Amino acid sequence: MIKIPYLTALTTHFSYGLLFAFGQFRDFFRKIFDWWRTNNLQGYAPICLDFEDFYTRRLYLRIQDCFGRPISSAPDAWFDVVERYSNDNNKTLKRTEKRTRCLNLGSYNYLGFAASDEYCTPRAIDSLKRFSASTCSSRVDGGTTTVHTELEECVANYVGKPAAIAFGMGYVTNSAILPVLIGKGGLIISDSLNHNSIVNGARGSGATIRVFQHNTPSHLEKVLREQIAEGQPRTHRPWKKIIVVVEGIYSMEGEICRLPEIVSVCKKYKAYVYLDEAHSIGAVGKTGRGVCELLGVDTADVDIMMGTFTKSFGSCGGYIAGSKELIQYLKYTCPAHLYATSISPAAAQQIISAIKVILGEDGSSRGAQKLARIRENSNFFRSELQKMGFEVLGDNDSPIMPIMLYNPAKIPAFSRECLKQNVAVVTVTFPATPLLLARARICISASHTREDLIKALEVISQVGDLVGIKYFPAEPKKQQQEKEMIKLE
Amino acid sequence: MYVRAVPPADLNKNTEWFTYPGVWTTYISILFFSWLIVLSIFGCSPGSAWTIVHLVHFFVTYHFFHWKKGTPFADDQGIYNGLTWWEQIDNGKQLTRNRKFLTVVPVVLYLIASHTTDYQHPMLFFNTLAVFVLVVAKFPNMHKVRIFGINADR
Repeated sequence: MIKIPYLTALTTHFSYGLLFAFGQFRDFFRKIFDWWRTNNLQGYAPICLDFEDFYTRRLYLRIQDCFGRPISSAPDAWFDVVERYSNDNNKTLKRTEKRTRCLNLGSYNYLGFAASDEYCTPRAIDSLKRFSASTCSSRVDGGTTTVHTELEECVANYVGKPAAIAFGMGYVTNSAILPVLIGKGGLIISDSLNHNSIVNGARGSGATIRVFQHNTPSHLEKVLREQIAEGQPRTHRPWKKIIVVVEGIYSMEGEICRLPEIVSVCKKYKAYVYLDEAHSIGAVGKTGRGVCELLGVDTADVDIMMGTFTKSFGSCGGYIAGSKELIQYLKYTCPAHLYATSISPAAAQQIISAIKVILGEDGSSRGAQKLARIRENSNFFRSELQKMGFEVLGDNDSPIMPIMLYNPAKIPAFSRECLKQNVAVVTVTFPATPLLLARARICISASHTREDLIKALEVISQVGDLVGIKYFPAEPKKQQQEKEMIKLE
Repeated sequence: MYVRAVPPADLNKNTEWFTYPGVWTTYISILFFSWLIVLSIFGCSPGSAWTIVHLVHFFVTYHFFHWKKGTPFADDQGIYNGLTWWEQIDNGKQLTRNRKFLTVVPVVLYLIASHTTDYQHPMLFFNTLAVFVLVVAKFPNMHKVRIFGINADR
């Protein structure tokens, strides 16, 4: 639940109104100037309507230097950010040769596999030498190597399902699977804050889409009852299939899905559950098996479990895990399997080695250490930020913590001030989040040490005071010390 | 002091900002402060200032609510490209609280403007015309209606 101070809501609305008004003025004068200037594009249709890219031109481009910063090293806990400058007020940015070493609070590097790892990297290089960088064909033609079959078995065992299928890209996994699973005459009920890949896949499938309020099982039940009673849109025939799509951890809120209640609602009304564990696989749960393990849900109750390898495993690609019949069906219908190039063998080997490290099968306890460290780091960081008075979203144990900024001017201020002090944060604004609720999203990794986190806290606290985002009263220091003493005892 | 912001189940990002707390208050305060600004810039009587605010409000809200179609970003792939902002809010459902509020505001502004100018003639005519156009444009029966094909899709 997000609590905004009322005055902040008013000033945010007003700021956006002001930005919108300025943008409209500039567009108006730009139209007049362009009418005077001759152009040699007679007879060509415009690429986009003038109103369609208003947001990009007039709001996003003004603070473009806060997004898309190029990096020139592996995204470990510390990395090199390339400095850029602009001569025309951020419309175009030019790279320089200078690099700054910054603390990385933005990469989804939950278990620290993003940089070179002592177990995974030699094996990935080995597999690169054996199989070369790409299989250069789709899975059905010549792209299935022993690494691919081993990967699918490994993932199925890890997740706790009978079989799995892996694809080369995480976004494609969602957008190519949903059209295959459900078609016209079916119903997809998805959480209102689902990722764009799910929205795209759902739109591409041709099924009817309904949305339920974020993470509210009672509203899901209400929507299910309404839709089952009404049936298909005009004919009122019963639905052919109902799939409820939820995510394990929502990447913009850091909230963990209320899976037990949602699964019980779906069982009651005989709907299928599709769980997208992009951010939660490998990051939560005692052995890193995701939200099912964390919340105690039996994996047999979730019909389709999807996940990506980009976040916790330091590789690329996505997977779907389900029953043997489902995976066999997907293997001969899913276009991502039939036509898309298969996942690179080196990337697949990286995933297999990462899973082995997590499960402890490489002979060391690094996996368990990483899991314990990410949990400690996340809980420590979140509680410290909340004590300082920031509004931090997300549940305990979740490694994603968005710090609310709200006002549009605070977004570039926070981002640039943090970069000046060598801390790189990711700020998220309008199309990815609702208009008012702009935030800075911090992703904690197992490779962050306690000193890194303390430095980050100092910098964020300083910048927070400067920018004015400590919306809640901070707890006074004496109480903090007392609490810490009680914890140690 | 604090209000809860519940994320609405509205998928249209162009209109869902209107369902958050504080919008109505911001709207009314913008109108009030623009009246003060007009008074200080032009140094005219309060009645003419209200008339100016009313007429500028008419032009601005007509242009943005009932003339401009589509959304200011390309993410939604143009599914709302034939609908004005007024037709998009609340997913096209008529007579919701937001719509009723937005219909009442021009009427209240009209009453204030005509009262403070003592119902005198040139201002009264323009004010009445403005409020008539705005209120008719907001009727539920005018949903997706394009009179004489003005502003219809290409």
